[in-house]
Parts: sequence; structure tokens; C-alpha cells
Amino acid sequence: MKVHIDEEKCTGHGRCAKYAPNVFRLNDEDGYNADAGKTIDVPAGEEANAKLGIKSCPERAISVVEA
Amino acid sequence: MNRSSPAESLDKETTPEALIERFGRDLVNDFDLDDPAFNDRFDETLNFMAHKCPVVHSKVGKGYYMINTQDDVRAAAQDWQTFSSAKGYMPNRPDGLPYLMPEESDPPIHTRWRRVLNPHLSPKVCAGYEQVVRDDANALIDKFIDRGECEFISEFGALLPGWAFFKNVLGLPIDDLAMLVNGVEEGTFALDLDERARNFGEVFEYLDKHLQWRSTQPSRGDLIDTILAGVTYDDGTESPWEHKVSILVDLTFGGIATTTFVMGSAIHHLATNPDQRQLLIDNPELVENAIEEYARFFPPVVALGRTATTDVEVAGTTIKEGEFVMLTYACASRDPRHMDEPEKIDLSREGIPHSTFGVGPHRCIGSNLARIELIATLEEWLKRIPEYRVKPGGEPTYVTGFLRSMRTLQLEW
Repeated sequence: MKVHIDEEKCTGHGRCAKYAPNVFRLNDEDGYNADAGKTIDVPAGEEANAKLGIKSCPERAISVVEA
Repeated sequence: MNRSSPAESLDKETTPEALIERFGRDLVNDFDLDDPAFNDRFDETLNFMAHKCPVVHSKVGKGYYMINTQDDVRAAAQDWQTFSSAKGYMPNRPDGLPYLMPEESDPPIHTRWRRVLNPHLSPKVCAGYEQVVRDDANALIDKFIDRGECEFISEFGALLPGWAFFKNVLGLPIDDLAMLVNGVEEGTFALDLDERARNFGEVFEYLDKHLQWRSTQPSRGDLIDTILAGVTYDDGTESPWEHKVSILVDLTFGGIATTTFVMGSAIHHLATNPDQRQLLIDNPELVENAIEEYARFFPPVVALGRTATTDVEVAGTTIKEGEFVMLTYACASRDPRHMDEPEKIDLSREGIPHSTFGVGPHRCIGSNLARIELIATLEEWLKRIPEYRVKPGGEPTYVTGFLRSMRTLQLEW
């Protein structure tokens, strides 16, 4: 599973990393998604958490690019 | 729970006659955030609008629209080019009130400020305040626990957020909190618009003096020093003094006037739902998620405004350039198109996509601190006072406009 984090849309709610800390990392400095603008791999077994993180984002900033 | 069922809402028509019969006014064409009926029938009105009214209009003052669905609220909040914050977030804004940076600005000015302010309220920095907040929660409980009763708002809910923000972030004396809380409340809810302006003025004056005093002191490297250092705008000019004062005003408004409502509402919900209270006592790991559901369902910020920079169509309604538009976060968080039974509090809901902290670049800068305050409150309260109830006759009282506030809540144990 691969997901993309939209850099324009991420505004630092931090929900993704709360529900899927092994998938999404936040910048220490401002709490925005550290991989904003990138497509990242979801580690095996973390798919369900990743989906919750995606669902909880009020900005819809994260999209699944490869299921 | 005393709430309208969605089925009942869906059976109703949105014709002016049907709306007047049910709500006492034509909500779709003649809404009023300040109508006491909206305060009294808050849940019913929100649930109805979230189901049936994607856009409503108000004729009050200069008039304003309200966008009520989650998709349209998100789209408008993210499209700052079309929905500008530079003309303020309040409908029928009092004349002469200075604009508040960064909330009442657009990128790139907004971006300049948020970039330097965000680090002071990041998840990591706020996590460092957690123990102080928990200790403060316990210090407040100590004062009334042996009495067997309290008025939750004045003895806890209105104090903890102010203490957390003043002590940890702003370095303001907590003795001045009551004056500022009153100024913010009256500035928001006073029925007379001049009275609102006068109260805002007092808050400005106090914070201006504090900022002036801090500018004479050695740097502490805190948020105040960041504000004093200022930013350079894209046109090469340095941020003026009045922008700096307005940031402090904006942060104070947000930091003391909003979290209280979620706190009071959650504590009230648990007072009247012993099964839910026991669930959280037995499973404290559920508290963090419960906070999201409470924040979704009890929105202190009902709606914040934008100004259309061009003619734009939203859900079939044409909004003309220059017209004022409220983004109804409270309705967006109850959108039945995005969740099952949004009119019910369900602590087992997961991945709750609510908009209580706003959406888009103006996302509440204090959201990380607010969550810590709410989690600390529920956890410490339920440890110290696991059995409690609403005192007979002490049901909560509310006041509502574009914000919603709980004024009183009497509890006993």
C-alpha cells in the first residue's frame, strides 16, 4: 500500500500520526506531516491504522495511490 | 438523550411555512446566529441544517450566508483565494475593531506568521506542558472536592484553559484571567454591538500594555518574544506594532474562550450518562478517542466567516463578490453524508473527521494544547470524582452566537 500526503492541504492537525504512528511521522518543529509532498510505503500490517489516519484527516490531505 | 431524531428531521420540508412552524423562523432565508431560539434548540437546529440545508442565508445587519455540509465547508476553507479571511471572521463585525493577525489575514501574510508561531504550540512542545496541566487540574479539584459540589464552569472549566495557556505559553499572570475571560465573553455575546466593541477594546488595551512591558525585558525565547521579533512581509515591510498586539489578542480569544465549552459539555454528558462514565473509568485508554467525539459533538466555534472575493456558486446558491460567508464547522461535523448517526454521541466512533478545530490554513493553532487540557481533565476528574451528577436545578446554561459557551453547570457528589 502506498499513500500520498498533499503538501498544500496538510495543516498540522496531527490526526494521521495519532492513529497510525508507524506510518505517519510529524515534524518535531511544527507538527505537520514530515512526509508532506511525498508518496510513502505503508509497512505490512499497518494498513488498517493507515486507513484510520487517512479517514481522520479533516483536510482529506492523504490519498491511497496503490492499495 | 434529549435530541431530535434524523428521521423526524428528514420528514420535514424546508418550505418557509414549514420552517416557521417548526423553528419560529425561516432558517433557510432568514437565519440568525444570535437568535435565542438557536441557543435553546442548538442540537435540533444543527442536525436539521446538516441534513437539509446545504446553504442558508441571514438577513441580519449586512447579511451573511452559512455553508453547512462537510465537503463544501472543507472546499471553501481550503480555497482562501476565493474565501478570504482578510475582512474578518465575525458576521457584522463592529466598526473600528482592528483586524486580528494571523486569523484575519490570508497567505502570504498569514503564512509568515504561522511559520514562526506554530513551533510554540507544536505537539512536542505541548506534550511538555502535560504534567503542569494535570497538576493544575488536581489543584482546582482540591479546592472543592471536600465540599461535595461545585459550579463547574467558574471553578474549573473557565480556569484550566487559561492557566494552561497563560502559565505555559504566554507568561501572563493568572490573576488577570477573570478580567480577560469576561472581556472575551462580553465582546462575543453582548447583545449590544457597541458593548461588544468596548469589551474587545479593553482586552486590546491590556494586552498592548503587556507586550510593551515585555519589549523592555530580557528575551525569554518564548512566544511573546517571537511576536515582538515580528516578521517581514513579502513587500519587504516589517510587521507593524498593531499586528503584533492583535496576535496576542487572537491567541487569548482562542486560548481561553473555547476549550471550556468542550470540557463542560463532556463533563455534563458523563454526569448524565453513568454507563459512558463507567466505560471511561474502566478503559482509560478510550479517553483520547472520546475527546475527539466530544469535540465533534460540542463545537465551541459554531462557524467562522470569510468574504467572497468573486462570484461563486455553492450547492446551487450563488454568492456574490464581497458577500460574507460563515463556514459552519458545527454542521460539517454532523454531516450524515460522512458518518452514521451523526446526531448521536458514540465514543466507539473511530477516525472521526470533525472540523471543530477548523479546516484549511487557519486550523486552530492551539489544537494540540486543547487536546491535552481535555484529556487531562477527563482522566484526572474521573480518578478523583468518579461518581457525580448534576445538582437538581443546576442544569447547564448556554449562550450562543458564532461561538457557543456554557455559562454554568452545577455538579454534586
